[in-house]
Amino acid sequence: MMDLFYAYIDPGAGSLVLQAFIAALVSVPFLLRASIKRGWRRLRGRRGDEPRAD
Amino acid sequence: MAGADFAGDVATSRAPTDSRDGRAGTAIVDPASFRDPRGVVFRRDGVVYRQIDRSFEGDWDALFATGLYEDLTSAGLLIPHLAAPDVAPISDDALTVIRPQAVEMISYPYEWSFGQLRDAALVTLEAHARALGRGMALRDASAFNVQFQRGRPVLIDTLSFGLSQPNAPWRAYRQFCSHFLAPLALMAYRDPRCGLMLRGHLDGIPLDLASRLLPIRTRLRPGLLSHLHLHARAEGHAPSADLRRRAPRMTRIRHLALVDSLRRTVEGLRWEPAGTVWVDYEETTSYDPTARAAKRRLVLQFLEQAGGQCVWDLGANTGEYSRIAAGLGRFVVSIDGDPAAVERNYREVRQSGEERILPLWIDLLAPSPSVGWAAAERPGLLERSDADAVMALALVHHLALGGGVGLDRILDLLARIAPWAIVEFVPKSDPMARRLLADRNDVFPDYSLEGFHAAASRRFDIVADEEIPGLERRLFLLRRR
Repeated sequence: MMDLFYAYIDPGAGSLVLQAFIAALVSVPFLLRASIKRGWRRLRGRRGDEPRAD
Repeated sequence: MAGADFAGDVATSRAPTDSRDGRAGTAIVDPASFRDPRGVVFRRDGVVYRQIDRSFEGDWDALFATGLYEDLTSAGLLIPHLAAPDVAPISDDALTVIRPQAVEMISYPYEWSFGQLRDAALVTLEAHARALGRGMALRDASAFNVQFQRGRPVLIDTLSFGLSQPNAPWRAYRQFCSHFLAPLALMAYRDPRCGLMLRGHLDGIPLDLASRLLPIRTRLRPGLLSHLHLHARAEGHAPSADLRRRAPRMTRIRHLALVDSLRRTVEGLRWEPAGTVWVDYEETTSYDPTARAAKRRLVLQFLEQAGGQCVWDLGANTGEYSRIAAGLGRFVVSIDGDPAAVERNYREVRQSGEERILPLWIDLLAPSPSVGWAAAERPGLLERSDADAVMALALVHHLALGGGVGLDRILDLLARIAPWAIVEFVPKSDPMARRLLADRNDVFPDYSLEGFHAAASRRFDIVADEEIPGLERRLFLLRRR
């Protein structure tokens, strides 16, 4: 009965709830990629510093 | 036409001012504007204006205060506008009136090739991502909010940006999926001609329909599985109150992750234009290099004679002759019925940075009709013409012998489109015409040079009639009477 009620008044509700679950799911690899990128940049930056440090 | 006063002329708080006096003249409200009564688009003396309603004030101010307007316009993602304080609004609740930079030719998603729709999708996502970075969000992700300007897609709806609410979901998510992702996936995985489905589904292809039509293997791709297939199922089932409560909050990071996921999904969709008849047409026709050079020279000469600003190239294939017109500084609408040819034309436009050619995928035997509410919301192709000249090169024999359209009707259409016409006549003895007639009865007794002359003379003055050296074909320059 509840389902029917929502289906009638709010056809986009399913989409919005699904969106939240997908976003939570994809934010894990998203953050992982971002931190790998950051780490890589830091590493390269340090390597770039080495000649100057000598 | 785009005015030079827009170039790099972006204000920090409000846009620069339009000096035009728009008080005179009757306002004509755009027929597609009724969906957004708080931002009515109207024309006065042929200039397009937009009235911003007072209820938009907070979002409108934020668009400038956050620097988003400047960021988007300088990146070529959003159309710039001028403030038009002297233009009379069309109702009392107006906050302001703006004059957006003009778009040379309005086109619609069902007239775009795969690459055009894909680029429009990426522009939409990029604009949303940049908005998120400044505490705002794109409220609409309609493909109709994108137009091609100077060869590139650009958002034209300045009112689509609003302040984002903490933890609120992206309300345009479903719209993005059905306006962009669904047709692109169908074009990439089934057939590029699926893009035409957008003509009957103006609010995007229903996700359940796309999900049914897509091959099973698309379920193995995480992006398509989640944003299309699961999305289609979620739409059919209203979530329980419990599920709604347990739904994760949409933090900013999650918004960005969602956009990133959609972008990766769109970028992962590919289609290579190969193996259709027309793309190889230029290579397989009976032209030898001398005849081709002669034809190019004649086209150039006729275009110069015709003059004007805007040329429609019908049956443009990959746009070889459109480029001649563009070289003369004309804006060219380069129309072809083969999606592969249009795709190649568009790729060439993007690669060369060409700003004067708009490739469109339209079958001339069934050009885009007026569609939408009251059959007036999205005007048909012929309602949008302001061409000064129309080119029909190596086209008439296809329409007449292949499509069964008489010469009178073909010339009627050309006369309707533009005051000048450059037309190539291919006689029945030509190898290409013979090929068209090979499998059918020749029921076209009027199709002859004399017949063409007679039909042309009824509507046009024949200004020039030249033989293309080395071919039996002739090139005509016609001026409408």
